[in-house]
Amino acid sequence: VRRDDLRPAVFGTATRDRVLVRLALSENGLHVRELARQVDTSANAVHRVVIALERAGIVVSRPVGTTRIVLLNRRWYGAVELRALLERLAHAYPEVVEQARTFRERPRRIGKPM
Amino acid sequence: VILSEQSSLVDVAFAACTVLARAGETAVLCGGSAAAYYVPDLYQSLDIDFVVEVGAAPHVVDRALATIGYARVAEGHYRHATLPFTLAFPIGPLAIGREYVTAWRTDRRGDLLLHVYTPTDVVRDRFLHYWAWGDRTALDVALAVARARPGEVDLDAFRAWTERERTADHSYDTSRIGRFLTLLSGG
Repeated sequence: VRRDDLRPAVFGTATRDRVLVRLALSENGLHVRELARQVDTSANAVHRVVIALERAGIVVSRPVGTTRIVLLNRRWYGAVELRALLERLAHAYPEVVEQARTFRERPRRIGKPM
Repeated sequence: VILSEQSSLVDVAFAACTVLARAGETAVLCGGSAAAYYVPDLYQSLDIDFVVEVGAAPHVVDRALATIGYARVAEGHYRHATLPFTLAFPIGPLAIGREYVTAWRTDRRGDLLLHVYTPTDVVRDRFLHYWAWGDRTALDVALAVARARPGEVDLDAFRAWTERERTADHSYDTSRIGRFLTLLSGG
């Protein structure tokens, strides 16, 4: 039994579920590479998921420097309900919740001890 | 329907909407391009956004747009060989924030037609960009449309809609509504 055989895959695949759950736990969005690292999937796979979700209007991305920040689209007509569903779905992906819990999004002064 | 190298955004929008209507598909001009339709001197765009009724077949859209020289270059995106305007078809349904848009305005030019957001909906749509993301350009566009079409923008409906959005999503910053209304009244 592979790890994802026991996942609900509500959004079609466990990768999609993970990406959405992780974005629901983010205040300011994440770079694709960081998002990929946190959901333990390749950047290419996450990039494909993001493109599909962006096309559907569920997520948006904005350029920051040479990369892009991805976040849930709060302007989407189902944004409030989606967020509520993802908060429930997070229980099926505890490792993603754990990654989010230990990941600092707020700015951190350079040189400040960890 | 014929386009030339001098065709404007509005010319292309009328042409695309008409050929799609003739193919049996209803496409509504929305987003920044709808704003550009109402305030062409103040706001320009090279992207022409249409939302087609849910269920439209891509091959029907492809064939209709090919008759005015537009070819699909990516999913939901069409380009012309010589014109700079890109036709984009975001996935529907047509909605502004949590609310579906079920009525729009239809303008005519001879035998051409254009379905387009009402001025009130353009203001709601552009304001929502500012409200959600702090996009100052979108705020300026919302103000420009509201000032250019004072008799056609229903501010009571606008205020009622912001209340409904806020009820659903408490994280929205109410000061931005006040800022918009103050700037609109010349404050």
